[in-house]
Amino acid sequence: MRPKDTDQLRYLIGLILALAVGRFAVMYLRRIIAGTMAVDIERDLRNLVYHHLLSLSFPFFDRNQTGQIMSRATVDLTTLRLYLGYGILFFTQHLVTITAVTAVLLWMNVWVALMVLVIVPPLAVLAVLYSRRSQPVVTEAQQALAEVTTQAEESVVGVRVIKAFGQEDREVARFGDRANRVFALNVEATRLRSIYVPIMDFLPTISVALLIAGGGYAVIRGSMSLGDFVTYGLLVALMVMPLRMLGGWIGDTQRFVASSERIFQILDMPTDVAEPEDAEPLPAGGGAIRFEGASFGYDPSRPVVRDVDLDIAPGSTVAIIGRTGSGKTTLTQLVPRFYDVDRGRVLVEGVDVRRLRLDELRGAIGTVAEDTYLFSASIRDNIAFGRPGASDEEVHLAARRAQAAGFIEELPDGYGTLVGERGLTLSGGQRQRIAIARALLLDPRILILDDATASVDATTESRIRLALEEVMRGRTTLIIAHRLSTIALADRIVVLEDGRVVADGSHEELIGSSAVYREIHDHGLVERRFVDADGDHVLMPVDHEEASA
Amino acid sequence: MSRGWGPAGGEVASGRGLRKKGLRNLRRLGVYVRPYRLRLLGAILAMFGVLGCTLALPLLLKTAIDSAIIPGDTRLLIGIAGVVVLIGLAGIGLGRVETYLTGWVGERVLNDLRTDLFRHLQTLSLGYFERRRTGVLISRLTNDVEALQQLVTDGITSTVRNVLTLVVAGGILLVLDWRLALATVVVFPAMAVMTFVFRGQSARAYGQMRQRLGLVTAALQEDLNGIRVIQAYRREASSRAQIAELNQSYRDANHRTVTSSGWYFPTVEILAAIATCIVFGYGGYLYVDGAIEIGVLVAFIGYLASFFDPVQQLSQVYNTFLAGSAALDKILDVMDDAPAIVDAPDAVPLAAIRGQVAFEDVRFGYDPERPVLEGLDIAVAAGQTVALVGHTGAGKSTIIKLLARFYDPQAGRILIDGTDVRRVTQHSLRDQIAIVPQEGFLFNGTIHENIAFGRPDATRAEVAAAAREVGADAFIDDLPEGYDTPVQERGGRLSIGQRQLIAFARALLVDPRLLILDEATSSVDIRTEARIEDALRRLLHGRTAFVVAHRLSTIRGADLIVVLEHGRVVEQGTHDELIALGGRYRGLYGDWAEAAAG
Repeated sequence: MRPKDTDQLRYLIGLILALAVGRFAVMYLRRIIAGTMAVDIERDLRNLVYHHLLSLSFPFFDRNQTGQIMSRATVDLTTLRLYLGYGILFFTQHLVTITAVTAVLLWMNVWVALMVLVIVPPLAVLAVLYSRRSQPVVTEAQQALAEVTTQAEESVVGVRVIKAFGQEDREVARFGDRANRVFALNVEATRLRSIYVPIMDFLPTISVALLIAGGGYAVIRGSMSLGDFVTYGLLVALMVMPLRMLGGWIGDTQRFVASSERIFQILDMPTDVAEPEDAEPLPAGGGAIRFEGASFGYDPSRPVVRDVDLDIAPGSTVAIIGRTGSGKTTLTQLVPRFYDVDRGRVLVEGVDVRRLRLDELRGAIGTVAEDTYLFSASIRDNIAFGRPGASDEEVHLAARRAQAAGFIEELPDGYGTLVGERGLTLSGGQRQRIAIARALLLDPRILILDDATASVDATTESRIRLALEEVMRGRTTLIIAHRLSTIALADRIVVLEDGRVVADGSHEELIGSSAVYREIHDHGLVERRFVDADGDHVLMPVDHEEASA
Repeated sequence: MSRGWGPAGGEVASGRGLRKKGLRNLRRLGVYVRPYRLRLLGAILAMFGVLGCTLALPLLLKTAIDSAIIPGDTRLLIGIAGVVVLIGLAGIGLGRVETYLTGWVGERVLNDLRTDLFRHLQTLSLGYFERRRTGVLISRLTNDVEALQQLVTDGITSTVRNVLTLVVAGGILLVLDWRLALATVVVFPAMAVMTFVFRGQSARAYGQMRQRLGLVTAALQEDLNGIRVIQAYRREASSRAQIAELNQSYRDANHRTVTSSGWYFPTVEILAAIATCIVFGYGGYLYVDGAIEIGVLVAFIGYLASFFDPVQQLSQVYNTFLAGSAALDKILDVMDDAPAIVDAPDAVPLAAIRGQVAFEDVRFGYDPERPVLEGLDIAVAAGQTVALVGHTGAGKSTIIKLLARFYDPQAGRILIDGTDVRRVTQHSLRDQIAIVPQEGFLFNGTIHENIAFGRPDATRAEVAAAAREVGADAFIDDLPEGYDTPVQERGGRLSIGQRQLIAFARALLVDPRLLILDEATSSVDIRTEARIEDALRRLLHGRTAFVVAHRLSTIRGADLIVVLEHGRVVEQGTHDELIALGGRYRGLYGDWAEAAAG
C-alpha cells in the first residue's frame, strides 16, 4: 500500500483530532465527577465515623485505645479516598479500554481477538490466587500498623514515667519489635506481589508474540492486508498497559478492603446506650433518684455495683463513701446513663432512665468528674461548655460561685486565656474549680461531684465548701467524699463496700450503727485530733505543673 | 465554641518552599538508603531490564513488519515471535527482582526511619515534650511516616522509572527518525506551561489539604479524649457540627486538587493526540514520498505513547512527592532537635548513691529570662526526708525535675554525694532514683507489667510483695485475672486511687537510693491513705527522699522542711524549728488551723 491518498490522510487526521477533543471532554468530566465523588464520599464517611464515635457510650471507650480509633479514623479513611478517587477511576477506564478493544478486534477479526483473549483465563486465575494469598497479610499489616500508632501515642503521653524509670531503651526495643512486625508483614506482601504482579505484567506479551507469528504469517500468505496487521498491532498495544495495571490495581483493592473493614467495624459498633424510639420527656421535679436492685459490672460476671436500693429525695445531699474500688464512681455514673444496669433499674423523677430522652436526662445532671478534662479553648468556653450560649455575666457568676473567679481574673487574658494542651497549664485545684463552674452554669437539678475537693488545698477547699453549700441548695446532690469535712455537707451518708450499700443514714445514726462508718470516721478524727493536739497541720496546694511555659 | 486552633504551626508551606526543601530532604533520606545501596542498585538494574523488555516490543513489531512480513521471511517471523516470548519471560524474572527489592528497600528505610525517630524522641528532654502538643508528636511518628511511605515505596521508583522511560523513549524516537521526533517537539512549550501552572496549583491545594486534615484530626483526638465530658454535657451535636465544618473545609481543599488534575491530565492527553496527528500527517507524507518504512511509523507511534505516559505519571507522582516531602520535612525537624540534656563526653557512671544531696546557688527558668528558681541552696544529709512546701508556682516540682536531671540549671550546681549530676551518665543516675509522679500513668499491658515497669525482670513474688506493701494487693486480687489483668486504655476502669497505688508499688519495687515523691494521696480513701502512710514511712526510711508534700504526716515526719516562695527558699528547718520561728510556715499552719476549725 503506497497510494497517494493524501485527502484520506487529512480526513483521518481531522478525525483523530476530533476524537481527541471528545476524549478531552469525556476525561475532564470523568475526573471531575469521579474526583468530586471521592472527596464527597470521604467527607461523608468521615462525618459518619466521627458522628458514630461521638454517640458510642463509655464501655466502648473503656475497651478501645485512642490510638487504634485514631488510626482508623485517619489512615484508613485516606486509603479509602485514594482508592475511590483513582483506583476505581482507572480500573473502570482500563476495563472499558480492554472491553472496547476486544469488541473491535472481535468485529474485525475473530482469530486475532482469540489471540488476545487467550491470556484472559490465566490472568483471572492469577488475580484470584494473588488476592486470596495477599489479603490476609495486608489486613494483618494494617492492624500491626495501628499497634505502632498506639505505642507511639502511649510513649509520648507517658514520657515522664518512662524517663523517671530510665526505661527509654526498653521502650525503643518494644517499639522496634512492633515496627519490625509491620516491616516483616509488608515484606511478605511485597514478596507475594513480586511473584504475581510481574507475571500479570508480561502475560500480554504472549498476545503480541501470537499476533506477530500468526498475523505476520497471514500477511505473508496474503490472507491479511499489511494495513490490517498494523491496525491489529496498534490495537493490541493499546491493551498492554491496561492489562498490566491490573496487578497493581489488585494490590490497591486489598488495602482498600482491609481499610473498609476496619472502618465498618467502628460503624457497626452498636451504641450500647441508646434511647428508645418512643423516649419520654423528663418529667418536672426536683431531682428524685431511685435505685431499685441495681447491679452493674464492666464485666457482667463481676459486678461492681450489687443490688443497690436507694431512694434519694429531691433536694437532698447524699455523701457516698467507701474504700477505693468499692463502686462509688460507678454507682453515680448509672444516673446519667453513662452505663446501663445489668439488673434492676435506676429512676430519675420516677421514670426508668432507659425510658427517658437522653438529652433531657443528661441536661438535668451536672457532673464534676474525678479527672477534670479541659478542652483546648478559652476558660470562658470551657466553663460555658454545657451552655455555649451563656452570657459573660452568667459565666462570671458561675466562676465566682465555684471560687474560680479569683485566679482567672489574675491571668493575663482573664477569661480569654487558652487552657488545655496548647494553653496555660492549670493546677489540679484550678482545673477542678473550672469543672465545678461548668457544672454550675448548667443549673442542673442533679449534681454529681466525684471527689470534687480532692486536689485543692485547705484554704481553697473551705472556700469551695462554702460555695458548694450554696449551690447544693434546691438540688439533689450526690457527692463522693473522702474527707470528713466534705461528708459533713451531706444530710445523708451512704457507705458502700464491694458494691453493696452497707450503711445508710445520718451521721448520728451511722456513728452508732455502722462499724464501717465508725472506722472511717474515727480514722478521720484521729487525723483531726492529732492536728488539734499538735496544732501544726499544714495542707499545701497540690500543684506540680508550674512548668507551663 | 471557637477552639484555639490556629494554623497548626508550619503546616502551610508554599509550593516553591516545599520543592526547595524537598530536594534537601531527599538528600537526607539518602543517608537511610545508603546501607541498602547494593539492593537498590540491583533494583535499578532490574528496572533497566524491565524497561528494556517493555520498550523492545514496538521495535520488534517494526522489525517483524519491515524485515519479515514485507519480504515474506517466515522463519525470521517465527524467530521474532520467539524472542517476544523470551522477552516476556525475562520481563517476569526481572520484574520479580525489581518489585521485591524496591519494596524491601522502601519498607526497610521506612522502618529504620520510624525506629530512629522514636529512639530520638526518647532521648529528648522532658522540656521538649512540655513545649509541644502531644497530638503533633504522635502525628510525626504515624501520619507523617505513613505519608512518606508512598514516596519511599512508590514515588522514588516510579520517578526513576518514568524519567528513564522518558529519556529512553525520547532517544529511540530520535534514532528512529529525527525529523519526526523534532516535529513532535512543537507541543512541548504548551506542555511545559501547562505543567508549570498545574504544579503551582496543586502544591497550593496540597498544602491547604494537609493543614486542614491536621485540624480535623486534632479535633477528633481532642473529642475522643474529652468524650466523657462531651457526653455528660450533651455537646455531641455541636461537636458534630464543628467537625462537619472542618471536614467540609478539608473536602473543599481536597476538591481543588481534583479540579486542577481535572483539566491538566486531559490536556496532556490532547497534546499527545496532537503529537500523534503530527506524526501521522508528517509521517504519512514521508511514507508516501518513500522517505521512511511503514514499520518505522508503527514503532514511532508506539514509542510516542511511552513518551507521553511518563509525563502524566510524573505529574501524578508529584503529589506523592509533595506529600512525602512535607512529611519528611516535619520528621527531620524533630530529628534535628538536639536533646537539651546529653551525657558529658567524659561522663562516668554514678557510684552507688549514699544519699547526700546539695543544691548550690541554683538558678533556673523554663524561659531563661524568667527564672523560676533563683539562688537556691539546699543541703541534705544521706537518708533524710526533705519536704518541699509552698504555693502554686513556687518552684517545688521544678526542684525535683532538676534533681532527676530532666533539666539543667542555668547557674549553680546540683551535687549527689559531692558529684555534679552533669558529670555522670543519665542512665546510672536514673537507675538509682525512683520518681512517683503526680498522676499514676499506666501503660497498656498487665498490672504485673505496670508494677514491674522499672524492673522488667522482677519475679511475680517480688511484684506481689511490692503491691502488698502499699496495700494494692486487695483490689488487684479482686480483679478477674489478678496481676495478669490487662490495664485498659490508661487504666480507665481503675480509680485514681488505684492507679496511684500501682505507681507506688512501681517505685517501691525499684528499691531506689533516692526517692522523689511528687504528689498527693488525698484522693484515696482514708483507710488506703493510712496504709500508704505506713508504706511511705517504710519506704522513706534509710533513703534520701524529696517530697513535694502537702500532707501533714509527711511534712511533720520530714527531717528538713523547705518553704519556697517565688523560687526562693524563705525558710528551712525542722517542723519544730519553723513553728518556733513564727514565720511563713507558721502562717501557713495558721491558715490550715482556721480552715480545719471552720
